[in-house]
Amino acid sequence: MAAADSPSAALRRDLCSRGIRLAGKMRADVVDLLDAYVEQQGLDASASVAAVEGVPLAAVERWDEQTGTQRLLENLAAYRAFRALLAQMLEEQREQLGEADAGLGRALAAVLLQVSAFAYHLEELLRLESRGIPGAEEDGPPPPPRLSLFEQKLRGLGVLRELAQWAVRSVRDLRQLAKPGPATGAAPGLAESP
Amino acid sequence: MFSRWNWVACGFYLVLNICSPDASSGLVQSCGHIIPESPVLALGSNFTALCILNESCLDFGNIYASQIIWKIKNRLVPKEQYREINRTVSSVTFNDTSALATPLTCNILADGQIEQNIYGITVTVGLPPEKPKNLSCIVHQVARFTYVMTCTWNPGRHTFLDTQFKLRYSWPEEIFPDCIPKDVNNSCTITDIQFFVNTEIWVEATNALGKAESDHLVIDPIDIVKPLSPQNVSVSSGVLPTVLKLFWENWISDAVMKLKFNIRYRIVGDTNWMEVPSEDTASPRTSFGVQGLRPYTEYVFSIRCMKEDGEGYWSDWSEEKTGITTEDQPSKGPPIWRIIDTSHSPASWTVHLMWKALKPFEANGVILQYEVTVRDKSSLSSPVKKYNVTSTNHTLQLPEGTYEVTLIARNSVGASPPSVLLIPASNSKAPVKNLRTLPKHDKLWVGWTAPNNYVLKYVIEWCLVSSKSDCNIEWQIALGDVKGIDLKGIKPFKCYLITVYPLYADGQGSGQSVKAYLKQDRPSKGPTVQTKKVGKAEAVLTWNHLTVEEQNGFIRNYTILYKTIDGNETVVTVDPSKTEYTLSSLTSDTLYTVRMMASTDNGSRTGPDFTFTTQKFGKGEIEAIVVPVCLAFLLIVLLGVLFCFNKRDLIKKHIWPIVPDPSKSNIAQWSPQVPAKHNFNSKDQMYPEGSFTDVSVVEIEADDKKSFSEQDLKPFDLLKKEKSTSEGHSSGIGGSSCMSSPRQSVSDSDEGETTQNTSSTVQYSTVVLNGYRDQTPLQVFSRSESTQPLLDSEERSEDHSGGADSTAQRQQYFRQNGGQDETNTDRPCFERTKQITHAGEGDLVGFVQLQISGQSSQPLGLGMEKNTQEAALSSVLQTCTEGQTVRPETVEENPLSVDEMPKSYLPQTVRQGGYMPQ
Repeated sequence: MAAADSPSAALRRDLCSRGIRLAGKMRADVVDLLDAYVEQQGLDASASVAAVEGVPLAAVERWDEQTGTQRLLENLAAYRAFRALLAQMLEEQREQLGEADAGLGRALAAVLLQVSAFAYHLEELLRLESRGIPGAEEDGPPPPPRLSLFEQKLRGLGVLRELAQWAVRSVRDLRQLAKPGPATGAAPGLAESP
Repeated sequence: MFSRWNWVACGFYLVLNICSPDASSGLVQSCGHIIPESPVLALGSNFTALCILNESCLDFGNIYASQIIWKIKNRLVPKEQYREINRTVSSVTFNDTSALATPLTCNILADGQIEQNIYGITVTVGLPPEKPKNLSCIVHQVARFTYVMTCTWNPGRHTFLDTQFKLRYSWPEEIFPDCIPKDVNNSCTITDIQFFVNTEIWVEATNALGKAESDHLVIDPIDIVKPLSPQNVSVSSGVLPTVLKLFWENWISDAVMKLKFNIRYRIVGDTNWMEVPSEDTASPRTSFGVQGLRPYTEYVFSIRCMKEDGEGYWSDWSEEKTGITTEDQPSKGPPIWRIIDTSHSPASWTVHLMWKALKPFEANGVILQYEVTVRDKSSLSSPVKKYNVTSTNHTLQLPEGTYEVTLIARNSVGASPPSVLLIPASNSKAPVKNLRTLPKHDKLWVGWTAPNNYVLKYVIEWCLVSSKSDCNIEWQIALGDVKGIDLKGIKPFKCYLITVYPLYADGQGSGQSVKAYLKQDRPSKGPTVQTKKVGKAEAVLTWNHLTVEEQNGFIRNYTILYKTIDGNETVVTVDPSKTEYTLSSLTSDTLYTVRMMASTDNGSRTGPDFTFTTQKFGKGEIEAIVVPVCLAFLLIVLLGVLFCFNKRDLIKKHIWPIVPDPSKSNIAQWSPQVPAKHNFNSKDQMYPEGSFTDVSVVEIEADDKKSFSEQDLKPFDLLKKEKSTSEGHSSGIGGSSCMSSPRQSVSDSDEGETTQNTSSTVQYSTVVLNGYRDQTPLQVFSRSESTQPLLDSEERSEDHSGGADSTAQRQQYFRQNGGQDETNTDRPCFERTKQITHAGEGDLVGFVQLQISGQSSQPLGLGMEKNTQEAALSSVLQTCTEGQTVRPETVEENPLSVDEMPKSYLPQTVRQGGYMPQ
């Protein structure tokens, strides 16, 4: 209870709450963006895309056994990767379409900002956990190989799909972290299925 | 020689430098410059500038810092502010930069006091920016996924300088591009807003004098969102008549922001909104059922939303949507009242039932019909009568009695509860007390004190009082526990008659009435006053009451204002019930102007002026003067009449001398044609009493002259005198006449002595010359005044008189006829003679026969024609004097029968009436 009353606990709770809502909005925006992207890029919405290189998968085994720090670190790594990938997508988008489809570019930029903001939330939470924040370079994905245009489109589709899934997972991770209890870093999460 | 060329070169060099002060870096070098160059200074601070001369100018121009003068916009700076730092530098100091202006110039006062400009700078004075205050931001949702954040702040005082504001915001690890306001300095809008991240926002203001930064605002933009209002609102009626269901769509997904709502609604036509309790709509939703509505009522709905936790702003209200609830059965029976008309027959009533249509919230639908049931309470056996009516009134013919009327309204769903009206045989119950009214804005409050008995309800009747039409009754029912109601639809300045009836369970109380105005005004016109009666000192004024339409309020009093033309106005206040007033103490025979003013509580209005003039005499004054005068006049007249009556004989002689009636003269009987018809036997018949009352026949003895006394001759003297002073109508005829009328002359003289003699004056006379008694005297007429055939002697005399005299005599005759009365006694004898002459031509009037005894028979008239006037008069006197001895007895002693009368047509006058034919 004492921890709940401290400023750090309040800040942690606020960060979690805000992160949950941000992840939720991010997911909604990414879903909308996916529809627009598929349509704009001429792709099939049901097309299967292989795993994108450099993007950690959202699905994980024994999720409920993860510590809070683990959750935060995995989330941070994932969103840093998404930040780099989305920035690359935005660059490629501008190169391909110029200012012809400003709406899609603005949507991509908005999602990119949300990803950045969520990464900031995660970093703040990690600070509260008194954990060091890994450097951006070490967790960042390697420079992507030069791809064809179609491959770029498919990769973009894969990035957005995985980001949508990560948004769902992040909401659950943060809810888990937001629950009052012993140190999140040590004990595994309570039985809450994602 | 060298020195001279040196001075010339120096001057040329100096002129170039001075004429081109700005060309220091150009072709020509300046002789000096000012430090600092074009400074921007804070307003109110001190400032020092230095003017530095070039060394080269010192050598060639022989100028030094001591010669420097400073100017501000061609205005010399006081030398107290100068300071010579060294031979090439001069400074100027300003303690307050507000005194500065542009340009500030450094000048040299060269030889001959010629002022030359060395350098100039532009000085800009202003203020550093203030710290921006009151920074606040709001995020507007402009589309489903588009949000913009607008921040506003107070930029502070005006700096007089170009000051730039920029709105800055950042995340801890990311700084976003600044937002630069366009055209304004107090707001800026950011378009790329990200929620759920605390964003630090602040404003920076920068100008040449400094930089200021507002307080930093750290906020998650999601907490300052003003969302778009819900869209596609629709309303549908449910199964229940009191419920409507609303549907709508939200612009924001729950993932971004959960919303709560406000729902407001109102009845169409009503301006007051009602709201659904906020706790009922505090959770995200897209529909809501509004309950507790009125059946069959059209409602307007509107919705707004905001973030569920209350952070942020309410959206605008959505567009309004309407919906109608379904029908329900009427909630109450219509208010019913009646008017009983007993004018035809007291035993048979004409009952006008009237009821008010139910209000929409009472009718709960469309009223299809009304059911009226009438039950005679005085007769249990009488059947109940039912009527189906679609209007709101019904007329019944009922015998006098007690009835119970029941009214039901029906719509498509069902029937209303019944309204019952008891119509008792008489309204003998207790009335309300202390009925009063009070205007309240646009309503008229009617209050009363309840009777002691329990009252079911009250009926309030009112109508607009009009002088032109009947009172059109409106009515309203109030519950029994109400002590007053507001009457609506009351017009200002109109008089209303309000009556309140209490309705009891077993009967009805008598009505109490009161007149009232919602608002009073001054009368629309003033009374027209006029006088009913005007006297010497009073006037009765009368006027008509103003019509109720003209009154505009309760007439509190009339005011009469009256004045004379130049007098002060007098004011009299009159009770409003009167239509007549008497002004008293007025001045007689004076013009008054009167006007009348009618006053209500809110003002007065004056009628037209009316003028009247008081009478000169009061009532009875004229009578008081006229009656005595008339009485006195009558008395005088009476006395005069009595006097005249007493003296009638005397007056008669003076005024109406007896003129012999020729028709009764017996000379008419002498007509030669009918001489036998004349009867001269009876003296009375020939000369009745009174015909010749005072005819005197004087018998003059020719030798009796001496018997005349002097007294007797006086009248002749007078006559003589008159003749001598008269107008001189002395004609031969006149003279002849007088000469031939000694009898008349004698009479005239007698008139002067006695009235008896006056009446004896005769118009015609015959001079009879007596002969001896036993002889027929020679009869000579001096003239003939008869119409009868003239005697020879007369004819002769006329022959002598000539035609001219004859004409003159005729003229005199006509004049004579106009004033016959006067001529009888006073006219000179010759005039009478003329009259006789003419009368003799046509109509014989009468004769007086004068017998002159012992006188010559020579015609006197002939002789007089030849004499002058005086001579004629003297002859008359002489003749008359000689004839005074004539006596009537003489005539009587010689009566002649008709047969014995000579046919000379000489009438003879005798006293005691008779001709004495000769």
